[in-house]
Amino acid sequence: MDLSLETRHEDGHTIIEVGGEIDVYTAPKLRDKITELVGNGDYNLVIDMEKVDFLDSTGLGVLVGGLKKVRAHDGSMRLICNQERLLKIFRITGLAKVFAIHGSQADALAER
Amino acid sequence: MPSGAARTATGITVAIARDPALVRTVRLVAAAVARRTSQDEEFVEEVRLAVGEACALLVGQDVLPGPSPSPVEVRMRVEDRLRVSVVAAGSVAAQDAPTSDIDGVEPWALLRGLIDDFEISQDAGSTVLSMSWPLS
Repeated sequence: MDLSLETRHEDGHTIIEVGGEIDVYTAPKLRDKITELVGNGDYNLVIDMEKVDFLDSTGLGVLVGGLKKVRAHDGSMRLICNQERLLKIFRITGLAKVFAIHGSQADALAER
Repeated sequence: MPSGAARTATGITVAIARDPALVRTVRLVAAAVARRTSQDEEFVEEVRLAVGEACALLVGQDVLPGPSPSPVEVRMRVEDRLRVSVVAAGSVAAQDAPTSDIDGVEPWALLRGLIDDFEISQDAGSTVLSMSWPLS
């Protein structure tokens, strides 16, 4: 399964709905999308990972890189993730404390 | 070299070219092997993630000079434990240096955190990532 990326704007945030596998092959596509959005002035990103069924350290690296990019512009990056197998990866690598991880788009957009 | 799989006397060996697009193929084989051990789906997912991660790290490493990059070989054996070795020519730093992270993620953090029995070794100019899981 390849990586799918759908972007939309809502409530002052840019939501990227990611589907498929984020790995060493597909992660550059997500990195390019984040770079493009930040380049366009979209500094408040929400990454919806509900349809992601695989994530490796290359994908984590892209997310951390994205977080650094938006923070450089006083922006934010929030993640939406309910899947235990993905949450486990964030916990193991210590990144669960780095990212704001939410259970739904409503929760992610409600946080101020 | 395209991906290939061979049944050996004790398990499965898969060799892939150093092409990131082929790592997914290895993950699928690893999941299939793990599923044959009749463990639960959480176990299958852990093996899929670990083998894919190890393979991705070696696919991306610098290789020794030569006419063409050597393949990455993944050997899986079901014995008293599920044993997996991922082998590639070249050497890697077994410890994460403070500056070696990929955008803030230490390359070995996930594997070390995921697997109780995980080792990095050098053997005749090759790097070997060895991991195993107990079978119930």
